[in-house]
Amino acid sequence: MIIDTMTISTSKPSETFLKSRSQFIFLIGSILTSLGILLVTVGGSWDITNHLLSKPETFSSPPHALMYSGVAVTLFGVVLSFVGWKNLQKFRTSYFLSLKIKLIGIGLLTGAGPFDFVWHSYFGLDGLLSPPHFTLITGMFLCSIGGMVGISRYLKFHNSKPVSKYLLILAVIPVWLSASGIISSLSLPFSSTDFFQFNPEPTFAFIVASLAYPFLISFSLFTVFRLSNYQFGLVSILGGLFLLIYSSTAIVPNFAMLDTVQFYSLNLIPFVIADVFLKLNRSKLSLFFTGGLIGSVFYMVYYPYVMYTYNEVLLGKLVSPSLIYFVYFELIQTVLFYTLIPSIVMGVLAVVVSDKITKKILIN
Amino acid sequence: MTEQLVPEPYFAATISENNITLGDSFRFDIVSVNNGDYADIHIVSVAFPDLTMVDDVVKINTYDFTLSPSYIHVGEEIGSNYSGGVETTFSQYPSIEAMSRPLKPDVQTHFDLLITPKESGIFNIYVKSIGIPHTSDLSHYPYSGFLDHQNEYVSVYSVSVNP
Repeated sequence: MIIDTMTISTSKPSETFLKSRSQFIFLIGSILTSLGILLVTVGGSWDITNHLLSKPETFSSPPHALMYSGVAVTLFGVVLSFVGWKNLQKFRTSYFLSLKIKLIGIGLLTGAGPFDFVWHSYFGLDGLLSPPHFTLITGMFLCSIGGMVGISRYLKFHNSKPVSKYLLILAVIPVWLSASGIISSLSLPFSSTDFFQFNPEPTFAFIVASLAYPFLISFSLFTVFRLSNYQFGLVSILGGLFLLIYSSTAIVPNFAMLDTVQFYSLNLIPFVIADVFLKLNRSKLSLFFTGGLIGSVFYMVYYPYVMYTYNEVLLGKLVSPSLIYFVYFELIQTVLFYTLIPSIVMGVLAVVVSDKITKKILIN
Repeated sequence: MTEQLVPEPYFAATISENNITLGDSFRFDIVSVNNGDYADIHIVSVAFPDLTMVDDVVKINTYDFTLSPSYIHVGEEIGSNYSGGVETTFSQYPSIEAMSRPLKPDVQTHFDLLITPKESGIFNIYVKSIGIPHTSDLSHYPYSGFLDHQNEYVSVYSVSVNP
């Protein structure tokens, strides 16, 4: 009897704390989920570059360490989201969508580990696209979506100050990076192994890259713009952060391309133009122009690896790491000739789709 | 902005004995180096035009390339004309390819073989080295001479196997 009383008296303050802080706990869970996926995607991009450069790989290599830490942080974030959601007094239904997506995502993400181990045991090393890798990337994508929905809804319900809107950068960048991972898996010719030929068919890969990358860039930037209630600066920061991550993981590790970082940084210009343009004019025409502009620069934004996709169809050259730069520029005119109009159309389409999606996220 | 790299592979091969008796072995040691720019891939290929299979005739004694040796069998589709696999042909005799990915300038690699011919006569060995990116005529060695089944230059080494 005495013990029961003690249990009740000690458990009550913690329960009260959980209930009073449940929304904040859910937000922290969502932030950690997004942060974890960000670490996994950065590590993944770095790991691809290391594979391409044939740098010695060990279990404890820095990209692997980053990826595994990311999975741990994501798992902790989803657990925290669950604890927060379970103790919610209000908005329980509104936050459930975020939690549900995160739970499916973390299931796939953690399940991909043992699946990958079994796959390696039977079939040796796998390429970029393989069933366990695709499970992993899909899990990452879903977790990042869950994190984005959770953060966005929290900021909406709490009518947050403009400064807290910067959290949306952390919410959207993992979605952009993990979706890029899905598109890259379906378009880059990095998936041929001794056992399986998972390289995408070159024409299919050409179409996927030409349509999906421009859509994704425009979608990501317009999503952060709309979720932040049209806050100036977020488009530039998000675009700049993407360029920073991509250049530091895909360009800087390859010493033969180090000089091209300056060229790559020029990609910031269309993002800043878009930001300024959206600040000055938010008419439908202006939004479509901006979407088209952002979509049209995809071949530059996804430098250097996107070149491999177009090389398969247009040149068929053997491109060793130090030749990437040369083949990229050999192809640039032809690629722009074929993709400029479709990429503008996809950029505009993304403006429409992001409008619908952000409304669904915010109006609940 | 950035300059195209020109790797310049080179090798020196030594044979322990030029005349052996059937059943004896000889050592064939290759030291290769990249005298040019950084090579994405450095290849040393050793081919045996008098064999149909490498079998236990050839054993690798020393090997310090970064990738495992690759055994090419007769009839396999292989690259030709220094095209890095864009142009292909079919191998007419077996060979072993040693590869380092990448190879920095002035770094030496070693590929030593112990060879025990099973038939008497002249035992020939073709050796060549290729650097990738193959950006000039300096990106392969030797630069001229005998052309092999891949239409690429090789240095020919011979040992007389006496009955």
